[in-house]
Amino acid sequence: MAKKLGKKARKFAKKGLQTVQKQKRKQRTFFKKKSAPRGRGLNGDAPDENDENLNRDQNISQDQNFSGAHLVDKTIGSLLGEEDEVELEDDFSDSDDYLPEDTECPYISENENENISRDDIARGTFQEENAEIKMQISKEKKKLDKLLAKDEEFAKFLESRRSQLEQYDRMVSDDEEGGGDEEEEEQEEQEEQTRQPVTQTTLDVWCWCVTEDPNSPALRNLLNLYHDASLYGVITSRNEKSAQIVSHEVYSRVINFVLSEADGIFRTLLGVPENSNAERIIMKLKSSKEWLNVGPLVKSYLKSSIKLLNQVTDTMLLAFLLFRLMSSVVFLHAYSSLGRRLIKILVRFWSTGEDQLSTSAFLLIKEVASQLSSDYFNICMKAMYRTFVARCKFVDDSNLKRIDFMKSSFLEITSLDVPQSYPVAVSSLQRLGDVVKHSSTTKKKEELMKINNWQYINCLNLWVKFICLNYKENNLQQLFDKAVRVIFGVTSLFTGPRFLPLKLKCAQMLNDLSLTSGHFIPVSSLVLECLDLTGEFTGKMDGDEEPRLKLSTLLKVPGNLLKSRRYQEECVRSSVEVLCAHFSQWSYHVSFPELSTIPLIVLKRCHEKATVESVRRLIKRFIDQAEQNRDFIQMKRDGVSFSPIDQTSIDNFLLLEKSNAKSSFTQFYASMLQNSQIRNMVQ
Amino acid sequence: MGKRKKVILPPALPPETPEEEFEVSDEDVEYFSENPKFTKFLAGIDRKKIDKHVTRVADKSEDEIERLYERRNRNDAPLDSRENDLQVDPVDALPIKTLDGKLQYRTTKKVKSEEKKASGELTGEEDAEKKGTSLIRLTKAERREKSKKEKKEAKKLKKDEDIAANSPKEKIHSEVLKEVEEEISAEVSFGEKKIKLAEIGMTLLEDPEANIRSLKELLEFCKDRDLQVVKLGLMSILAVFKDIIPSYRIRELTDKELAMPVSEAVRKTRYYEYTLLRSYKSYLQKLIELQKEAIFKQVVVRCMCTLLEAAPHFNLSEKLLAGTVRNISSSDDVIRKLCCEAIKSLFKNEGKHGGEGTVRAVRLIAQLVKKHHCQLHPDSLEVFLSLRFDEDLGKHENKAEEKNKFTKNKKGKQEPVKHLSPSEKKKSKQELIAKTREEVYADYKAVSFAPDSKERQRMQSDTLSAVFETYFRILKHAVDVSDPRFMSETSGSLAHPLLAPCLEGLGKFSHLIDLDFMADLMSCLKQLSGFSSGTYLQSKTFNVKDSGSGRSNNGLTVSERLQCCIVAFKVMKSNLDALNVDLQDFFVQLYNLLIEYRPYRDRGEVLAEALKTMLWDGRQHDMQRAAAFIKRLATFSLCFGSSEAMAALATLKQLLQKNTKCRSLLENDAGGGSISGLVGKYQPEATDPYLSGALASVLWELSLLSKHYNPSVSQMASNILSMANLKPNQNIVNPSLIALNPIQAFWESTVQKELSKPMNTKVPSSLKRKRKREQDTEYFVLDPEKMRNVDNEVIGEEEAKLRFEEHFKVLRDISENERLKGELNRTLASISLYDEFKREKREKEKSMGLKSGKKKAKVLVKRSSS
Repeated sequence: MAKKLGKKARKFAKKGLQTVQKQKRKQRTFFKKKSAPRGRGLNGDAPDENDENLNRDQNISQDQNFSGAHLVDKTIGSLLGEEDEVELEDDFSDSDDYLPEDTECPYISENENENISRDDIARGTFQEENAEIKMQISKEKKKLDKLLAKDEEFAKFLESRRSQLEQYDRMVSDDEEGGGDEEEEEQEEQEEQTRQPVTQTTLDVWCWCVTEDPNSPALRNLLNLYHDASLYGVITSRNEKSAQIVSHEVYSRVINFVLSEADGIFRTLLGVPENSNAERIIMKLKSSKEWLNVGPLVKSYLKSSIKLLNQVTDTMLLAFLLFRLMSSVVFLHAYSSLGRRLIKILVRFWSTGEDQLSTSAFLLIKEVASQLSSDYFNICMKAMYRTFVARCKFVDDSNLKRIDFMKSSFLEITSLDVPQSYPVAVSSLQRLGDVVKHSSTTKKKEELMKINNWQYINCLNLWVKFICLNYKENNLQQLFDKAVRVIFGVTSLFTGPRFLPLKLKCAQMLNDLSLTSGHFIPVSSLVLECLDLTGEFTGKMDGDEEPRLKLSTLLKVPGNLLKSRRYQEECVRSSVEVLCAHFSQWSYHVSFPELSTIPLIVLKRCHEKATVESVRRLIKRFIDQAEQNRDFIQMKRDGVSFSPIDQTSIDNFLLLEKSNAKSSFTQFYASMLQNSQIRNMVQ
Repeated sequence: MGKRKKVILPPALPPETPEEEFEVSDEDVEYFSENPKFTKFLAGIDRKKIDKHVTRVADKSEDEIERLYERRNRNDAPLDSRENDLQVDPVDALPIKTLDGKLQYRTTKKVKSEEKKASGELTGEEDAEKKGTSLIRLTKAERREKSKKEKKEAKKLKKDEDIAANSPKEKIHSEVLKEVEEEISAEVSFGEKKIKLAEIGMTLLEDPEANIRSLKELLEFCKDRDLQVVKLGLMSILAVFKDIIPSYRIRELTDKELAMPVSEAVRKTRYYEYTLLRSYKSYLQKLIELQKEAIFKQVVVRCMCTLLEAAPHFNLSEKLLAGTVRNISSSDDVIRKLCCEAIKSLFKNEGKHGGEGTVRAVRLIAQLVKKHHCQLHPDSLEVFLSLRFDEDLGKHENKAEEKNKFTKNKKGKQEPVKHLSPSEKKKSKQELIAKTREEVYADYKAVSFAPDSKERQRMQSDTLSAVFETYFRILKHAVDVSDPRFMSETSGSLAHPLLAPCLEGLGKFSHLIDLDFMADLMSCLKQLSGFSSGTYLQSKTFNVKDSGSGRSNNGLTVSERLQCCIVAFKVMKSNLDALNVDLQDFFVQLYNLLIEYRPYRDRGEVLAEALKTMLWDGRQHDMQRAAAFIKRLATFSLCFGSSEAMAALATLKQLLQKNTKCRSLLENDAGGGSISGLVGKYQPEATDPYLSGALASVLWELSLLSKHYNPSVSQMASNILSMANLKPNQNIVNPSLIALNPIQAFWESTVQKELSKPMNTKVPSSLKRKRKREQDTEYFVLDPEKMRNVDNEVIGEEEAKLRFEEHFKVLRDISENERLKGELNRTLASISLYDEFKREKREKEKSMGLKSGKKKAKVLVKRSSS
């Protein structure tokens, strides 16, 4: 272990330390002049591989652009601790990668002369480039030979520098590996085994053997081959000897076969039926003797599959792999480190992959979280939360959908086991609250920046949604209280027209909380503030060319938009929507007339002030509706005889009408919601 | 720069003297035979080095100093020789100060002067350096002064060590000094000056009486060219003055006094005081002069403020005060804070200056406000809040007198009755005692610094009048500006920066306001709070246009208007009996301001205070008004945050408690109109509480408030609701909540307070586990249909096969590519190594050559050393 750590450290030093990097850069420029263009990153035709790198690059550049966001990252992201980051790395390659093989298993040598020669379908630049490089090599070799001939001492010198050369060579390939993580290390350790290449016929025989008799030794060979396949790209580049796979048919065949059959075979070997549930398998795993035999096989299978996930870049293939792995999830129970690794990969797919891939990844995560022990649930949840925190720093039209997806899928997971996710929610909310508390005492600009950003708001929103989702079935009063306080704290920190979108967002969250909890939360003051401020704008009429503003992607309004008519319109519309939601919640309550008194006074004033016709119309309509409802309640109220203290009678007041939801105000609110949805869709 | 770069040639070496010509004195021989150790350095003298220093460039500063030293020795040499190789008089010789502060006088002989040159390094370069510093300090003027002084002092004062150390420097020629000054680089001199400053300061603090003259030296530093030195100088003098300024004021001596012969001790003291005062004066002048320069501003202000705080009683404090007040509204935060603090401490520690400073400061501020047309930083007026007025000051005296009179009268009355035969003796004795007492008292008063109460009363009334003059000026200004003509000009956010502290001050000192001003003040406040006499409807329409931004027609914010109301009430309260002004208008204002209020834009604590002073504290209210406010407050708490709601509810509760009839609002009486007054139906939008008809309404709000998310608010609401069941004479519902006044209630539930409430981290037991072990999991947020579709979208086996094949091919090519590239790189690297190889080879050859060269060099070195 110690040795390995040391190795890791060395490797890290080789790659990560600043000084080394600097040195490397120097060296590289030194060699660059002479070496051919290198690195597949430069080749434009491998988009699949580059996709991820590109993504990462984008992230980095984004991060650099908005350095303010880093501040928050620390505070919010750190709440889960980094403890499992370290764990993820270890004990992955603790055992042999290869299963011991039975020698009796047939290897059929190549007699039918399989067509190894490469099929000459146009394969893009790699082949051309390879040919080019070959040419170059021969040219340079000639030069070297000449030099060697010229000076005998040089040969000696070259010999003495051999190690340096090799090191350099390795360094270059390290650089190119990039995302290849820990794999190389394993290869270094790997003993060189002399392995025969497997032909298609051999494979066919093996497959046949295994399907006939699951206990057949061929299974081991197959799994080894699968392992080779999972590492194909890495092995061949390192040491050519161990490449068992020489043709694409073998490659795809073995992967396909193992993926589709392995799960069934293991289940038959262990004696658990296909559709039996997780608990039974886990029970079996613990007790049975067969596990001793089958265990290593399963491990090899899982490990290779995970490696394959790392290797494959095609989204469709990844989705396919994930889909196939779904049924074998329960086996992960025995190998927690593999599970962690898998989760890591899955979370990456979930957060960065394309639509379908991220959904499949999510489904698999959900499977892991729900089928396996609570440890896995915790790991999944924390990993997801951490990733979410890291990825929600910015919101614009392009990633709005993804953040929504991440939010809701995270909620899916957390809602699976509320008792487990509760502590996380508590600590996160507390952290968020501490930030607000601290800012409200210092009132420094950088402290405020910690709150006025998407990361903070998204996290807050996430937990608010969590509370809303689970409030009814669970006693989340504590969380509810804290969330409301935090939101009010946030609103108390920002004043001025620039922060209207932020305030409206807070008001929306409060509305949600109020609706699910049935508590009364005074939202109107926030909205009144917004309405007051909108009145200050001098609505310019030349705003028609301005692009449509989307408040959902704004927190703080840029100064140039502040005075624009669009912004004013948008603000009023959103304010009215929020107020409408607030009113509609209490539209059947006895005290609706009182609730609407002050907002109506302010709205009327606002209506008088407004210069833009559309705004005026909007406000006017809302006032009319609210007044209508007010009169309705007042009329109904006059007819009753109970007093305000009689809570049950108040609760029963207009219950029938409420359940029917026929009142004009309810309908007005529904139509308003619909409109805003349509508007958002159109954009 | 060019000056410094110019190489200054060191003095020529003395002409070579053949070795035989050197006379070695016996003493020397003896000395060295006694101390064989000392011969070592002679043997080890690095001639080259010495030569380098003595003859040549070596333009390091240390060397220069050394050179100086050497030159001086040369100058002294003739003198030495005249004295015939004898021990030099300690006064004449240049002393060497050792590290432990002792002065060593040169006792060696002339012959050794050459040795000295060399041993300069050994005996302590630092000493030499120090000497250098003590040399440069002396400027021409200083020296002149010094010599003059010396003549004077020589007779009367025994020379202490320091003077002894200083005086020999007089003898050194002025040209040399000048040169020295130029030669020493700025950096070194800065360090030296720092040390010197500290030294002088220390000596001054150790014994101010003896060293008072060093103040002048310190003052010289303030004329330095180096800004840093000037700053340090200013600060050091400040520290010194702070310490040595006496606790009394130094009086200028009259001519008559000067003419009178005095004892030695008195003369000494007089001299001391005189010097102190003079340097203090020049220091202040310097400060005032430097204040104009931006670089020094902060330092100067700091000095002034500290001095003002430390010695407000001392001479020339007027100048200090003027300087401080001038900066009280500075845009620089640091300066402003300093000045304000200084003034505040001046107000607080009146004992130090007997109140004179206060009057002066207040007057100065009043002038400043006048001069700047009330456009100053609010901080500058806030200092008034630290003022303290002793109300009992006059009364106490009067009372005592009255008492005296009374007792006297009593005695006078009683005397004839009780003691018909008072002994004359006793009476005269009593009188005598009284007389002596008075005399003693008068003496004491004359001696003691504290002014008598009459004087103090006078000063206090002066202060007060200045304060209120300022306050009224600000109020009037605010009223004037509210004239529509000015509106467009001063619509900025800080139209009345001084109004808030002014109102606060008026509230605080409301009991001291002269009754004559009262009517004026009230009308002013009324106007400011937004009420334009009688034509309220007009102002309302006016309001509609402007109040959106929280400003009424006179451009005041809601907080300011609330403050106006508060002040009016406070004034009224403290002069309850004397005035009979109707405060109805202010109630109307408050009633309407409740709607204008917005949390965080306006100051919540002001609102709470207004509620407290106007509604909570008051006696029983008119029923109509009480009902109107109860209703409005209930509605208000439905719209605003929990702290505002709590303040409102606390007030509401108090109102309900005091006005028992209003409890009918808590019940839904079908015929509520029985007690409702003019208006039969509640008009929520009415602007006049009397016309709102609130008595006809029901407090439905409370039912919603009892659902409030904040437990304390909901508890309060239900608490109030339960009052409906009480009998009219029953009052206390829950004693713990009663104690809360609106301000407390407000602070109890502010956002900050709420946030710091601890959270129970324990997982509640009632949480439900929703985990499903079954395959057909349900979804909570996501669309289940969509999720199921995802499974269907996964590609089939056939396509996967194809794709895997493709993938394989790509991988194969890539690995091939990598391998080839690796090979190529290796080859290229090998080729490139050839260059390195050649270079190395060449170097090897070179190093071979070098080695032989080194050998040669070694031989040379050996030869030269031998």
